[in-house]
Amino acid sequence: MNIIKKIGVTITSLFLVLSITTSSISAEKKILFSIKGPGSGNPFWASVEKGAKEEAKKLGVKLIMIAPPQEGDVQAQVNQLEDQIAKGVDAIALAPSDPNALAPVVDDAIKSGIPVVFVDTAGSNKGVTFIGTNNKNGAELAAKYICDNTPKGSDVAILTGIESQSTALLRRDGAIKGFKGCGLNLVATQTAEWDTAKARSVTESILVKNPNIKAVFGSNDNMALGAIQAIKDAGMKNVVVVGFDATPDAAKSILAGDMTATIAQFSYNMGAYGVKYALDLANGKKIAANIDTGTQLVTKKNAKDFK
Amino acid sequence: MDNPKKDQSLFLKLIPYLDRYGILILLLLMILALHIMQPDVFLSWRNVTNVFKQISWQSMLALGVFMVIVTAGIDLSVGSIMMLSLMVLAIVAKAGMPWYIVVLVPMLAGLLCGMFNGLGITLLRMPHPFIMTLGTLYIFRGAGNLISGGVPISGFTDEVRYLGHGRIDLTWLGLEESQYLPVSLVLIAIVYFIFWVFMNHTRIGKWIYAIGGNPNAARASGINVNKILVIVYSLCGLLSGIGALILAGRADSGYPNAGLNAELDAIAACIIGGASFFGGRGTVLGVFAGVMIMGILRNGLNLMDVSAFWQQVLIGAIIIIAVYIDVLRKDFGTRK
Repeated sequence: MNIIKKIGVTITSLFLVLSITTSSISAEKKILFSIKGPGSGNPFWASVEKGAKEEAKKLGVKLIMIAPPQEGDVQAQVNQLEDQIAKGVDAIALAPSDPNALAPVVDDAIKSGIPVVFVDTAGSNKGVTFIGTNNKNGAELAAKYICDNTPKGSDVAILTGIESQSTALLRRDGAIKGFKGCGLNLVATQTAEWDTAKARSVTESILVKNPNIKAVFGSNDNMALGAIQAIKDAGMKNVVVVGFDATPDAAKSILAGDMTATIAQFSYNMGAYGVKYALDLANGKKIAANIDTGTQLVTKKNAKDFK
Repeated sequence: MDNPKKDQSLFLKLIPYLDRYGILILLLLMILALHIMQPDVFLSWRNVTNVFKQISWQSMLALGVFMVIVTAGIDLSVGSIMMLSLMVLAIVAKAGMPWYIVVLVPMLAGLLCGMFNGLGITLLRMPHPFIMTLGTLYIFRGAGNLISGGVPISGFTDEVRYLGHGRIDLTWLGLEESQYLPVSLVLIAIVYFIFWVFMNHTRIGKWIYAIGGNPNAARASGINVNKILVIVYSLCGLLSGIGALILAGRADSGYPNAGLNAELDAIAACIIGGASFFGGRGTVLGVFAGVMIMGILRNGLNLMDVSAFWQQVLIGAIIIIAVYIDVLRKDFGTRK
């Protein structure tokens, strides 16, 4: 009978230990970080993920990173969020694939007492803090760089992202403002939906119509890289191509002398700030309505740092 | 099978029931497994209603595609029909039309798109519906982008959003306010019931099965096959239009990526639910089970923080396993 008693004691103590550890787990805050696409598909999201994970470790919070299988799969992101909200989290950092389509879930979360911050792309819900790049300023910076590196009055083109996203619109508008401001001749503004292959096709047709083009602004690096392919293919030289995001591929391309420049967003900061400010909200602190993660021009001089 | 002999084993007697309800058993097993793995969350009120909200519009597309598959056809354009109907709805809503028109318009648009498919297949004598609906997959999505300019149109009134976003309050039953019934759940039940009656207890429903089973025999027995096909594709379009109306409520936005790849999910749900690509076989209940299996699989994996890539792999695996079980079952069924 002694053995049975011993087993009983062991089991009870095991339960005790378990309950203590589980209660200590539940004491730490759970932050849900929902990004637009998998890190393996886009270095930008990989860097956001890295920032979020390292910050979460530093602050001692439990981080749940989720992403839809493909960038742009709005319904999958909505479903993932709903499921996680049902499971219960303390705060949400969200990069919305489509601000309007995600607005109802965000409202729902806030109503259930879960605070939300937007990361990278601002949502349409009022009173929710936005943590990210000032995309308009960034694109204007790119346009000014193009102005300084092309003859006055040159033909230029813009490749825009998915035009249902505010990021795409802000970058487009910033570039247009920059070009108009210094008297460049904007001959084409077309979408290539953030995609390299599409950017190549779009640029090919732009070049056919406008053989004198002196510069192309790609609203992200993937599209700028596609534009470079088309320009090389057409045998054109001395066309200034500026991208946005400063991905490792873009940095390599700049060092190789293909891409001229890119705009760095501090995607690592977005991940880190997202976790930090979401935690602040979960702890009942107040935070600013707009938190800028900054932009910076990347050229041959400093591209090494972004490889 | 009709005259069970006394010496038949119990197993053989069970076959017709397995045939009809086997997929439901698989569904129950999955629910049980997920409940054991996520005891606090999976069967919570909020999560169960989430699942029904999430499958609401897919279940409409799947039901439409199911009828088409029963005729041994295929409709690849349902996702695009839904997107086009959604965009039409959004434009009409933005133009300030009264809500009862905004609600009717996507259903009408869907019906017309489906009719276009049906007429194309029959009048143009397309060698296979695959080709017509592959064409319209591009045409309808392109048209949706053309009329909307490819940008989202957001903000609908509560009446328009009712089917996708509405809640039926249950506090009078003594439940809490958070324990509401989503309107979309009730809608699924009503629509599936109507189509169950339609497929099983009307003449047209029986003809639809007959066409899929053997089109030549159906023709010889005096069924106007082309007319039935146009009706089936039109109804499929109508259901996609209802899907658009639900999605409008859920997302509060007509957005260009709506329903992307949704046709594949719809086809997968039919196949998992036991519909045969060769036509003439499958049940409304089976499709519902298929939709549910896909829905709770995604939901359950989300709850367990499984990466979206694994979800793709697992859903693919479930399709193959479900059909393989079907193959095995048929083997047993033909062995006397």
